[in-house]
Amino acid sequence: MSERRPSAERRVEGRRGAQKPQRRAAGGGRAWMRHHRAMMGDSALRLIRRPISTLLTMLAIAIALILPAGLWLVLDSARLLDAELDESATLTVYFQADIDESEAMDLAAEVGGQPGVAGARLVTAAEGLAAFQQTLGVDDALSQLDANPLPASVVVTPDDTAPAAVQSLSQRLQTIEGVDEVRLDLAWLDRLQQLADLGQRVALALALLFGLGVLLVVGNTIRLAVESRRQEIEVVTLIGATHAFVRRPFLYSGAWYGLGGGVLALVILMLGGNWLASPVAALAESYGAHFALPSLGGRNSVFLLLFSTLLGWLGAWLAVGRHLSDIKPR
Amino acid sequence: MIAFEHVGKRYGGRFEALADINFRVERGEMLFLTGHSGAGKSSLLRLIMRLERPSRGRVLVAGHDLDQLHISQIPYYRRQIGVVFQDHQLLFDRDIFANVALPLTIQGVEPGDAARRVRAALDKVGLLHRERALPIELSTGEQQRVGIARAVVNKPALLLADEPTGNLDPQLSADIMRLFEDFNRIGTTVLVASHDLALIARLRHRVLKLRDGRLIGDEEAA
Repeated sequence: MSERRPSAERRVEGRRGAQKPQRRAAGGGRAWMRHHRAMMGDSALRLIRRPISTLLTMLAIAIALILPAGLWLVLDSARLLDAELDESATLTVYFQADIDESEAMDLAAEVGGQPGVAGARLVTAAEGLAAFQQTLGVDDALSQLDANPLPASVVVTPDDTAPAAVQSLSQRLQTIEGVDEVRLDLAWLDRLQQLADLGQRVALALALLFGLGVLLVVGNTIRLAVESRRQEIEVVTLIGATHAFVRRPFLYSGAWYGLGGGVLALVILMLGGNWLASPVAALAESYGAHFALPSLGGRNSVFLLLFSTLLGWLGAWLAVGRHLSDIKPR
Repeated sequence: MIAFEHVGKRYGGRFEALADINFRVERGEMLFLTGHSGAGKSSLLRLIMRLERPSRGRVLVAGHDLDQLHISQIPYYRRQIGVVFQDHQLLFDRDIFANVALPLTIQGVEPGDAARRVRAALDKVGLLHRERALPIELSTGEQQRVGIARAVVNKPALLLADEPTGNLDPQLSADIMRLFEDFNRIGTTVLVASHDLALIARLRHRVLKLRDGRLIGDEEAA
């Protein structure tokens, strides 16, 4: 490459060429940020210009997010219920009927002293009868009885509420002299735990499946966007655009779709929660319980939005990566 | 600026688009590449733009052996080349200004600086007053001039043009060629592929002639 025309302009050009790497390093960060900002706005504008199709895509994403999120909420409320049930996972130790009040107190102390017992509360025969009367509302019928037919009992709270531990504790308490019967319903405790496990797995599987669904929805939308901007991609590639430059607007589109889908999902979950709140409260009331549907709460809402945005971005990344390699300038 | 050393290009293992091409272009030269369609003009330009790699031989441009360029360096290499296409390849969803600014946007030039350079390029092709127009509102000749403004806006060392006057009448074609000569005068190396032999003959520059993928003539400027 000999210099055939060493003109003034040429020399300026040469110097500028030599400075290029430095300039890129200094101004590169700002230019990069500028392009990011520009693409963030540009991709949002493109979505807004097609409100219906944008909304439909976001709705599809929202529905895919609502199912696992909704199930998670249901499980969460089950967990709350579960915690209450754990507290009430007590054993009732019935004493033999011929045990009088002072003997019952000694026996209760003995039961309370057993390893694995967190608490023991004596329910005397009289207290038992009173509670029975209150629960059933059969004052009159019971007052007709001459003697109290109920034995004294001890309500035992176990240290460890795991079904196996409760089972072995029950067997040990059974062997104490003066104990007639130890009652516990392990089967339903067991079943509840298994149900909770199952629910968690189903939620996880659904989350995976629908997460994949979001990827496909965004991927397909972005694939169409790439196809419709094929000429532009070819031209900018010809004049020196990097892959990252070409990819950027599509990644932002994907992230917007994800974020929009996440916001829609939150709104729908909230509306659905409100809609279900009064019948659920009424139903709980009829069982004499106070129970409110749990809501996602601030932290989980933020997490859902982050997650959906990330999914949208990832879906776009996969789609663009695959289709950019197809697009080669002619 | 450009050196082809025993360059051959085959497509699909059979069709030989170029065979044993040898030539050198010095920095600051202006030359034409002619030949009937299918002679290999486009293949040759595509090799220079590093859209394709030669099957044989070496292509050197501005000191780079194009075969040695890493794939991540190709975009930066292409930024040193301005290209004018026969069908001008403007983007119809944005105005003239944005079209011309595209190479600068890609390179992340600061907007104020970019605007100044875009206006200078548009002024050079005589379309400064149309900067807010959409490409569709322009005539074919004007569109081609916008394409040229885009190709020169970042002051490339090398300007390639593939049949830039293919769709234009003789008067417009002469105007376009005069523009290329102007850019050449300020030091840009210009290579124009064209089959407009009458026009080329009048312009008195070096001419490379291709036929069936072979270089059959390399005439210095008369």
